[in-house]
Amino acid sequence: MKLAKSIAVTIAVSTATLLVSSVVVAETPREAAVKVGKLLAQDLKQDSADNPQADDEIFLKRAMLDIIGRLPTPEEAISFAIDPAEDKREKLVHRLLKTDEFGSNWARYWRDVILYRRTEERALLASQKLEEFLTQQLNSDTSWDKIATAFVTAEGDVREEGATALIMAQSGQPEDTVAEISRIFMGIQIQCAQCHDHPTDRWKREQFHQLAAFFPRVAVRPVREGEKRSFAVVSQDRFFSRPSNNNNRYRGTSEHSMKDLEKPEERGKVMTPVLFTTGESLRIGATDDSRRESLAKWMTSENNSWFAKAYVNRIWAELVGEGFYEPIDDIGPDRDCSAPQTMDYLAEQFVANDYDVKWLFETITATDAYQLRSQRRRNYDETPFQANCNQRLRADQLFSSLISVLGVEEPGAREFNRQGYSARFSARNLFNTAFGFDPSDPRAEVKASIPQALLMMNSPIISRAISARSDTGLGRLLRQIDDDEELITELYLRAYSRAPTDEEVKICTGFIKKIGNRGEAFEDILWSLINSTEFQYRR
Amino acid sequence: MSTKLHHTMNVSVGKNGLTSRRDFVKALGAGGAAVAGMGWMDRMTAEAAALRERGMSCILLWMQGGPSQFETFSPKAGHKNGGETKAISTDVSGIQISEHLPNTAGVMDDVCLIRSMNSKEGSHPRASYLLHTGYVPTASVKYPTLGSIASQQIGNDQLDLPSFVRIGRARGAGGAGFLGVEYDPFQMQTAKRQPENTEIPSTEQRYQRRLGLLGQLEGQFEKNGGEQEVADHRKLYNKASKIVLSPQMNAFDIQQESAAMRNAYGDSEFGAGCLLARRLVETGATFVEVAAGNWDTHQDNFSRSQELCEQVDQPYAQLLKDLKQRGMLDRTLVVWMGEFGRTPRINARGGRDHYPRAFNVALAGGGVRGGQVIGKTDAGGVSVTDRPVGVTDLFRTICHSLKIDGDDTNMSSIGRPIPIVEGGETVSEVFG
Repeated sequence: MKLAKSIAVTIAVSTATLLVSSVVVAETPREAAVKVGKLLAQDLKQDSADNPQADDEIFLKRAMLDIIGRLPTPEEAISFAIDPAEDKREKLVHRLLKTDEFGSNWARYWRDVILYRRTEERALLASQKLEEFLTQQLNSDTSWDKIATAFVTAEGDVREEGATALIMAQSGQPEDTVAEISRIFMGIQIQCAQCHDHPTDRWKREQFHQLAAFFPRVAVRPVREGEKRSFAVVSQDRFFSRPSNNNNRYRGTSEHSMKDLEKPEERGKVMTPVLFTTGESLRIGATDDSRRESLAKWMTSENNSWFAKAYVNRIWAELVGEGFYEPIDDIGPDRDCSAPQTMDYLAEQFVANDYDVKWLFETITATDAYQLRSQRRRNYDETPFQANCNQRLRADQLFSSLISVLGVEEPGAREFNRQGYSARFSARNLFNTAFGFDPSDPRAEVKASIPQALLMMNSPIISRAISARSDTGLGRLLRQIDDDEELITELYLRAYSRAPTDEEVKICTGFIKKIGNRGEAFEDILWSLINSTEFQYRR
Repeated sequence: MSTKLHHTMNVSVGKNGLTSRRDFVKALGAGGAAVAGMGWMDRMTAEAAALRERGMSCILLWMQGGPSQFETFSPKAGHKNGGETKAISTDVSGIQISEHLPNTAGVMDDVCLIRSMNSKEGSHPRASYLLHTGYVPTASVKYPTLGSIASQQIGNDQLDLPSFVRIGRARGAGGAGFLGVEYDPFQMQTAKRQPENTEIPSTEQRYQRRLGLLGQLEGQFEKNGGEQEVADHRKLYNKASKIVLSPQMNAFDIQQESAAMRNAYGDSEFGAGCLLARRLVETGATFVEVAAGNWDTHQDNFSRSQELCEQVDQPYAQLLKDLKQRGMLDRTLVVWMGEFGRTPRINARGGRDHYPRAFNVALAGGGVRGGQVIGKTDAGGVSVTDRPVGVTDLFRTICHSLKIDGDDTNMSSIGRPIPIVEGGETVSEVFG
C-alpha cells in the first residue's frame, strides 16, 4: 500500500511538473542567484546592499555551520584559504551538500520544528527514528513534496516509522495535527480560526474544521508488548465502539464535526474535507487513505503556491538570517512580504526544479544576499537584506562545535528505560535539553539562558575537557606545539576558523606571561574562547 | 544610572499595585515628611525595599502522578469506595482527613481544603500542563507555567538568585513558554546538593581572571558587526556570574540549618525540598516548586498511597508551622496539588485509575482563611455535589492571593494577546 501511495504521488507530481515547465523554465542555481540579485534590488529599490561581501574565512565557517552543522577543521580552513579557484565557494557548497552530515544537520533542524510544538510529551519516543528518517531522505535527494507526503500519510509504531512523529506529537488530535501541517508545510496559522473567525485573516472557522476533516479517522494508540510500551499511529474505516474517555484519543471517528459554540455539549456539524487554499474537496464517508493521500497531493501540487513559499521562506530565513515573512511560519495572504518579487520567483523556481531541496540550498548560498558580511539583526525601520544576520548556533551546531574544538569523540547513546517506554539518549540529547530552542520562533526572541551560561562556564565535564592534562585535546596540543603564538593560532583556527589578529596574539601572550604557568594560561584561553560570543554565534 | 532608576521604578510600581508612574511619584511625595533629608534616589530605593518586603511568594507542592483523594484529604471511610483507609479528626472540629496524614491533621487550622476540584483531562501530560498553566496544551501557543507567570508578574529584580526554582522531577510541568527564557524555572534535580554548574571549577580569583580575559577577547567580534550580540552575551554572563559569586548562594545549602530544623522536616528528598523552599523564599525567591511522587497508583493503591503520605505529611506540616513561626505565612501561599484525582472504584489490582471529575487541592498562607472546606462530593466520592471549582477558578484564586491581575495579557509569539487566566472566577470564600 505504501508503494502504491508513493507511485500515485510521483505520477501526480510529474504531471504537475510537465504542466508547469511549459510556463516556467527551471533555472540552475547560478542563473537563479543572479536573477535573485536583480529582483531583490528592484524589491528594495536600491542598486546594491550597503555592506561588502564576507571574507573567505567567514564564508567557509558560515557555509559549513549552515549546511553540515559543524565548524571547519583547521585543515579545511587552510585548504579553503589557499584554494585559488574563482568558483571555490560554489564548489564548497556543492561538496558539502553531498556529505552525509548535510542530511543529519537538517534532519535535526526539522526534528526540532516538529517536536518543539508537541502537545504529547511521549512523542519524544519518536525523536530518534524521526531524525534517522529525515537524514536518510535528505541524503538520498528525496524532494520536499515527497517528504511532506510521508508525514501526512504516516502510519505505524512511532519507534519504527519516523514520519509518524508529526501526528504523534499532537497525539493524533485532528485539529492540532492539521494546524501543524498547515503551519509547517504551508506557513499558514489556520488554527487562529479554530474557535472564531479571525478578524484580520480571511480564513473562516468553518475552513479550519474542513481541514480537520481530513484526519478524523486517525488516532494514536498505546502499544504494549510484554513489558515494552510504545504508541502507534493507526487509522480505521469501520466504527463499532464509542471513543474512549479522559480525552484520550485511542480511536478515530468516522467524520469530523465542528461544534456549535453556543451549544458545546452537542456533537455539532459534520464537516466535509476541503483544502482551504485550493478549494479541492472530498465527499463525506471517504476512506482514511483517500483523505490523507488527497490532502498530501493537493497540498504539494503546484496549484498550491503556499507549499513552495513556506519552504523557501524558511530556508532563506535560516541561511540569510531574516525571512521574507516574519515569523517564518506565518506567511498567509494578509501578511507583508519584504521582497515579494524575489520570494515569488524563488518559490516558482523551487516548483520548476521539482522541489529539489539541494537546488534551493545551492541557489540561496550563491546569492549576494547570503554572501554579505554579517551584522546584528536590523531594526524594523531599516532596509532588509543589507547584511547576513549573526545567528545564535542551534544546540546541535554548538554541541558539534564544542566536540571539535575540544578534540573529543562524540559519546555514544545509551538505552534509557522509564516505565516500559525505552529510548536512546546521548550526551548530545542532554546538551539539547539545555541549549535547544524551537527553530520556528522568531530568532530575535530566542534568548540565551542562565543555565546555559552556567553550563559553559562551570560544567565539570567541560572543565575536565579543557584541562591541560595530557589526555585531553589541549594537553596533546601543548605537547606537540612549543611555540606559544603557534598554539594560539591553532586554538583560534579551531574555535573561530580564523587566525588571531595581532592584537589578540598580544593579549594572549601577555596573559601567558603574567600567569607564568603555560598549561594554566592556555586552559584559561581555551575557556575564554568557548565562552565567547564569536564561538556561540555564526557570523 | 538612568537604567537603574527606570528598573527600580518598574519593580515598585508592580508590587504596590499602583497603576502609573505618576501615582508612584505622588505616593512618594505623600511620605515626604518621613523621609526628609534623603536624596531622590535614596527615597526611591527605600520605598522599593519596603514594597518588596510586602511582596508575595508561592510554594507549589506538586503531587506528581495524581494523588488519591480518598487516601489523602477526602477519606470515605465506611463507604465501599473508601477502601481500607480510615479517617481521623483534625485540629479543626468537623474536618476529617486520612489517617495517613497525622501531622497535617495538626495544622488544618491553616489549611483551606477544596474538595470539589474538577477537570476533563485524564492523561498525565495534558492534565499536568493544565494544572500548571491553566490552559490545555496546543501546538500554536506555549503557555507559561505558574512559576513563570509569578516571576514575570511579581518577581524580585533585586535578587541575585533566580526567582523561580523547581526542585525535583516534575514531568510535564511546563516552562516560561512565550514569556521567554528569563522566566524559565531554575531546575534542581535534588535539594540535597548545590544546583548544577554553580560551583566554580577553580578559585574565585582564577574565575575573575578568566572573565577578564574573556572580556578582552570579545573585542574583535564587537568591532566587526557583533556589537549587539557581545553586549547581550556580556549581560547574560554577568548575571550568571553574579549568581555563582553571590553570598545568597548559601540559601541553597540546607546544611546551614540546625540539625533540629533539618530533623523537623525529615530527611526525605521531599523534606529537604520543603526546607530549601523556605530558605529560598526567605532570601527573596518568588516561586518555588517542589515535586513529590509518583502518585500514579494503578496497583496497590493503599500501601503505596500510605508510603507517599508518610513522605509528604511531616514536611508539609512542618513547612506551614515554620513559615508561620517566622511570620512569613501571610505572604507565602502554599499550594498542595496534583494533576487529577483517582477513581472511586478500586480496580482488580487494588489500584485506582485516573479521575479528573473530583479531586482535592489544599491551600494555605497567602491570605487564605484556614480551617475550612470548600465543596463536597457525594457519599461515594463520584461526583461533585456542591461548589464545583474548575482549574481556571483555582488560577484566579491563586492570582488573587499573589496580587496578580488575572486579566493582564501577554503577547504570544504570533502577536495574539493571551490573558494570564482565561475565564474562571476567584473562589472568594477562600479568603473570607
